[in-house]
Amino acid sequence: MTELTAHAKHLESEEISAFVDGELAAAAADRLGAHLEVCHNCALRVVAVVQLKKATARAGDRYVASPDVLARLSANLGGEGAESPGARRNDRPLRQFSFRPVFRWTALAAAVLLAVVLVGLWGRRQPNALTAELLDQHLAALSSGATPQVLSSDRHTVKPWFQGRLPYSFNLPEPNALPADTVLRGADLAYIEGKPSALLLFSIHKHEVSVFLTKRTDGFNLPEKSVRNGFAMRSVTTAELRLTAISDVNPAELEALVNCLAKVQ
Amino acid sequence: MPASLSGQSFEALALPLLPALYRHALWLCRDPFEAEDLIQETIFKSLRAFGSFQQGTNFKAWVFRILRNTFLTSRTAIAAGRTVSLEEHVEESEIPAISLTPEEHLLRLGDQASIQEALDRLSPPLREVLLLCDVEEMKYKDIAEVLNVPLGTVMSRISRARRALFELLHTEFEGKL
Repeated sequence: MTELTAHAKHLESEEISAFVDGELAAAAADRLGAHLEVCHNCALRVVAVVQLKKATARAGDRYVASPDVLARLSANLGGEGAESPGARRNDRPLRQFSFRPVFRWTALAAAVLLAVVLVGLWGRRQPNALTAELLDQHLAALSSGATPQVLSSDRHTVKPWFQGRLPYSFNLPEPNALPADTVLRGADLAYIEGKPSALLLFSIHKHEVSVFLTKRTDGFNLPEKSVRNGFAMRSVTTAELRLTAISDVNPAELEALVNCLAKVQ
Repeated sequence: MPASLSGQSFEALALPLLPALYRHALWLCRDPFEAEDLIQETIFKSLRAFGSFQQGTNFKAWVFRILRNTFLTSRTAIAAGRTVSLEEHVEESEIPAISLTPEEHLLRLGDQASIQEALDRLSPPLREVLLLCDVEEMKYKDIAEVLNVPLGTVMSRISRARRALFELLHTEFEGKL
């Protein structure tokens, strides 16, 4: 790595922010990237802004609308007969909108019920296809000819390998924090429905385990617990990630592993 | 455009945005009832103005702009003086230069509670632009449309917002030692 030359200056904070936000033109991003290869200080500044961006996203995401609120808000989206501002609700004297007539609540209830049924029918199909895909990848990892990209039990080797390969990061517990007789074997980069995922390979006793880490916002619809073709599957979510583990090991032990991994995210 | 067709199109565009609209409204209003009222009014105004929306452009930026303008002109926001604070200009001199090393920056980012507190303490204009960028994941040009400011202003505000957050985190960190 060459030293920063005397005439080269450090990056401006605006440049770093724009780079992290993906707002730089390709040529400018390439120039900035070349600078980062030789400037440790600016590289750390970029890392700090990336981490701040993620932390801000987590902190800013704290307000979640309840189903009741969403139902009330979506009732007005149809447009017809929407109440104009200015009327007041009896139970909230300072509010600007009136409540809907009773017959509209009945129509809304019927529409919500229909939507729930349709979503339920659609939802039952999708997880089946997704669990099948994950099981296929687990079986492929088990096959004798498969060699993962990273063969290591050292989390300090496995985790950094994913930098630049995934649009998110994750943590790994220390070896002595893993459940009994559980060992990290290695890792690979998998694709689930076309999206990159970290695939961590463990063994529990003599059973092989695949743990897929995906972004929670990827919207994968997976049940928390399921069994398919004799393989147990456990899926949990953290603030940013979804962790899904598959193995033929005892389901309770599989759950212990995935909970242990979720705890350190 | 027939009323029913325009209603369906508006609903298809707006329904997925309700959680994000509510989240942002709550950041603006800091009260769940006010936030819900704000969104109801925004929906009403957006639906009425939907004929002027150019299909193919960014609907999210369009409706967020209406949300923001509705907030700025709401009785409660004006009464609380919040509109003034949202429109205040953040002077460069208000953000002191800090000499933390990048490593020190990273040390402070592991504490989620501190991040939340720092975000709460950020000035409204800087917090708003950061929320639109990092939480709502809007592009700079869309943020410029929402805030009705030039693109360069968005770039500089985001950079200043992040520097201000680092400074607030530094202050909190030092206070806990």
